[in-house]
Amino acid sequence: MRAWKVVVLLNLALVVGVGWGYVFWGLRAARLDRELALARAAAASGVEREWVVAGVVRAVLPELDVLVITHGEIAGLMAPMTMGFRAASPKIHEGISIGDEVRFTLRGVPPNVVVTAIEKTK
Amino acid sequence: MYALGLCARWLHLASSILLVGAATTIALAGRSDRPTARRWEHRVLLGSRGLALAALGSGLIVLGLQTALFEGRGGAALEAGSIARVLIETQAGRVWLVRFGLLAILAAFLWSRLHVESSLDWRAARAQAMLLGAAALVPAAAAGHAAAVEPETARAIALDGLHVLGAGVWVGGLLPLALLLWTAAAEPGADARPYAVLAARRFSRLALGVVLVLVATGTLMAIANVGNVAGLVGTAYGRLLLAKLGLVVAALALAAVNRAVHLGRLAGDGPTVGRPAMRRLATFLVGEGLIALAVLAIVATMTVTPPARHEAPTWPFSVRLSFAALEGAPAASARVLIGSQIAVLGLVGLAAGLAIRGRRLPLVAGALVVLGAGVGLALPPLAVDAYPTTYLRPSVPYHAASIASGATLYREHCAACHGAGGAGDAPAGLRLARPPADLRGPHTALHTAGDLFWWLTNGIPEAGMPAFGRELGEEQRWDLVNFLRALSSGYSARGMRPAIEPDRPWLVAPDFTFAVGPTPPRSLREYRGRRTVLLVLYELARARSRLAEIAGRDGTLALLGVEVIAVPVDAAPDAIKRIGPEPRVLFSVVTEGAQAIVTAYHLLAASPHVEFLIDRQGYIRAVTRGSGAAGDLDKTIAEVQRLNEERTAASAPEEHVH
Repeated sequence: MRAWKVVVLLNLALVVGVGWGYVFWGLRAARLDRELALARAAAASGVEREWVVAGVVRAVLPELDVLVITHGEIAGLMAPMTMGFRAASPKIHEGISIGDEVRFTLRGVPPNVVVTAIEKTK
Repeated sequence: MYALGLCARWLHLASSILLVGAATTIALAGRSDRPTARRWEHRVLLGSRGLALAALGSGLIVLGLQTALFEGRGGAALEAGSIARVLIETQAGRVWLVRFGLLAILAAFLWSRLHVESSLDWRAARAQAMLLGAAALVPAAAAGHAAAVEPETARAIALDGLHVLGAGVWVGGLLPLALLLWTAAAEPGADARPYAVLAARRFSRLALGVVLVLVATGTLMAIANVGNVAGLVGTAYGRLLLAKLGLVVAALALAAVNRAVHLGRLAGDGPTVGRPAMRRLATFLVGEGLIALAVLAIVATMTVTPPARHEAPTWPFSVRLSFAALEGAPAASARVLIGSQIAVLGLVGLAAGLAIRGRRLPLVAGALVVLGAGVGLALPPLAVDAYPTTYLRPSVPYHAASIASGATLYREHCAACHGAGGAGDAPAGLRLARPPADLRGPHTALHTAGDLFWWLTNGIPEAGMPAFGRELGEEQRWDLVNFLRALSSGYSARGMRPAIEPDRPWLVAPDFTFAVGPTPPRSLREYRGRRTVLLVLYELARARSRLAEIAGRDGTLALLGVEVIAVPVDAAPDAIKRIGPEPRVLFSVVTEGAQAIVTAYHLLAASPHVEFLIDRQGYIRAVTRGSGAAGDLDKTIAEVQRLNEERTAASAPEEHVH
């Protein structure tokens, strides 16, 4: 066979090989991405969930049934911040005052979550 | 094992590089029908086949040793499972796989019997060998030190790839070219002489460009991997680089002689031109090639040596040059200025001497004398004492906790002589032969952290300063260094006002870690590049009105990108409870970590109530000392707005003091 033909064939084979590998991996990565997104969406939407979070009470607003709490990360819901949470009933924040370190339970379908229980830890 | 690894790496690198050079040189010389030229081409091809096998074999050994290294036991080098894991799961393994595959294709291509009688076939075959050789060589950059450069990894890999490719063209071309010249210079090689002369001229032109590329990429890579002079002379990697540079300079000197003298004499016939010149050029090329192979041996060692940037340099000299030595010494400054001007004059003379053909020797000699005189005049005033640890980087970051423990150590071990405030005025100190240094002054800032570390470790015998190397652990000594840096920063920051100085960040905010209640701890560093921080050190009894004022403008401050962090100076763990419902404070009030923050930041500005405005890069830009009474928060907000309007962002301060 002529040398230039060998060279052309060899380079063609290399290009095809690299292209095939790229497409193979690319398709696989795209599929994994899609599955991950689906799984995330399923986890995030429409299902009632519950978290138990540690924090410190910064303000109690009985007239609104709201507790303002500085808390750590709430997995899948929000980053660490100071945030007002609605209490499920006025009874919940009885005996809770500013500066109390607490562990509280959040329940609901995100983003509508309420505090269903709270207890002092210190 | 280490020696075997080095040999394998060297053989692998050298054969991969020579493969590229051999292919390039053949392509450069071009196709010829002369029998001698064809014989040379054939011999180079035979050599390439051997090189390809050598590269494959040594590559296997390198892979085995790499596996043994990753798995931490020698036996793994021969286990298929371990090798497969390295190949698939590590970057170095994947790069190896790609390169080995290309090398195998190249070997098969070189060993196959191709008919290259027609010009088209010849070009296709030679170009293919060149392409495959380059493609098998360049990815090595992605598995070396360049892949660990942060940030701009891609740039570092591209530079390294260009560098090895250039080395392949230059270094790899020397020996084949020498062989050609040698063959052509022999009695029966007369038919190939014009061909050899042409090849040598083409190679010389190409090599000049390639060497420039090598110097440029090499310099940029050295900056990325070594960083500074201390890294160059004080670490194993840096010294290897120096050795490499020395050899490269020697090779370049040979190359310069070749270009200036031998190349012009190749044509014609006579006792010094033509064949004798050809033989001499070939000898010089072999010399250059051998030096280059030695350079590759050093490079192979460098690939298994941690880059200087990640090592603690040991300064080998007892002096270093520092412009800080000129502080407050006008006579010395003038001397340095004059000396540097004379040196520049010498440099100009040197350039002129090299450019002008006639009277070169006296001009160059004169210029060198002037240059030497200038340097001799300018440098001595810049010399300051240096120690092996001068450029050592602290192993403990500049952090409030470290400064606070340094403060405790200072009280226990240093205050007796240096005084509680660091002024060097304690009774025990005044009795010494040489009074203790005033640690507050700019004096401390003029020395490197490594200098302070050396004195703490070994003492200053002639001044009566004791050594603490045995008494205090390494970490404790660094804590003291951090404390001293904060102390002297505080002295420099006396004049800092509530108004910022635009575009002049200089006071580094020590990092600190804090927690609000049971939430996970956060650090000041986390706000870098994202938020401006208003750090308020308050005394509750007097600061209620100021806290109320800040709380009232919480929303405005948040909109301007300000994070307020309030620290009670009494470090009360129930600080939030103590503030109570009025004022309604919702910003961070530190309940854990307050003690260290207060200790460190009171060194920077001591006042019962003090507020620090820390910009997004991590510099303290404004300090407000007060009593805690409500002031004018609008002023603070205006300063924040000025910070937000600053155009040039300073680079973030280093994590460690220097």
